[in-house]
Amino acid sequence: MEKLTFDSLQVGDALPSISHTVKQETFWKYAVGSFDYNPVHCDPDWVSTAQPFGIPQTVAHGMMTWSFMVTVATNWAYPSTATITKITSKFLRPVPAGTTMTCSGIVSEKHVIRPGKHFVVVELKAENQDGDLLGVSQAEIVFPE
Amino acid sequence: MNRINFERFFETEKQKIFGTDFFADAEDYEAWDEIDFESQEDIPGEQTFEVKAEDLKYYAAGVLDDNPFMTDEEYARNSPYGGLIPHPVFLTQITFWCIGVKGRGNWIRTPGARNPGQEVEIYEPFRVGEIIHIKMRPHDRWIKRKKYYLNYKIDFYNQDNVKKACWIVELVLPKSKEDIRKFIKGIRGVEV
Repeated sequence: MEKLTFDSLQVGDALPSISHTVKQETFWKYAVGSFDYNPVHCDPDWVSTAQPFGIPQTVAHGMMTWSFMVTVATNWAYPSTATITKITSKFLRPVPAGTTMTCSGIVSEKHVIRPGKHFVVVELKAENQDGDLLGVSQAEIVFPE
Repeated sequence: MNRINFERFFETEKQKIFGTDFFADAEDYEAWDEIDFESQEDIPGEQTFEVKAEDLKYYAAGVLDDNPFMTDEEYARNSPYGGLIPHPVFLTQITFWCIGVKGRGNWIRTPGARNPGQEVEIYEPFRVGEIIHIKMRPHDRWIKRKKYYLNYKIDFYNQDNVKKACWIVELVLPKSKEDIRKFIKGIRGVEV
């Protein structure tokens, strides 16, 4: 795989996308991996009446959706020994079991600061199988010179 | 009240001892209208987090990520990173562990809470063998479109007090303890 450097990157470069179909089993495993056992993700019986999101189904952890988006950045950047220094997210729609999430990214900004501190901003997004936007994220990434 | 058997998923030491029932101690969770913003002193977490390879590997597995820098110890050791590096959102695991059940910040466990978005700065990746502790403080609380937002600023330090990361952790919460109780009972229509 070609090593990416700050100089080799251009605004508009697209990152390879990933897709996952999430199930209740996926939510349970993420709960175990994150220690976030909130019943809105884990307890289908409770959600059927409480409906915090207005639907009688469990939904994915926002942090899992975010992780999927950030994985697009790490898949792309880690082989080049890059460092992710900041990540932000906004979650726009609940993600019920059965959703196929496609996450993608694009280089949106190049910040020219000083050697060792130059960074790029990557805009990431997650969409469902209907093309609805589920969440967005930004990652600031420092690449080797 | 926890009806799910999570034990079949357990692989790490921490997973076997961390409580999975978020209803059990909900009466002790801080409610939106109870947060003390008067004191701006740092609040420590309930416990520290020793970073183990199994923790990093399981988090990656939980997000369906097989990146060898996060999952393959030998591959990572022989890479420029010199060892496993975590998925950037791994600090979720550290945060739930460190905040615990009874301590301040336990509102992150509130049944029915919603996640509007997050912000994390990473100064150094967490590394295997580090003992992480957190310091947190209430950061902001507001109402927007009849929803009750709260965030804390959480700083993560290793055993040498090197600051590793900062997370502005934010949720939309039930407003009061009474609303939390209604949620726990599964009553629909609580304003969140």
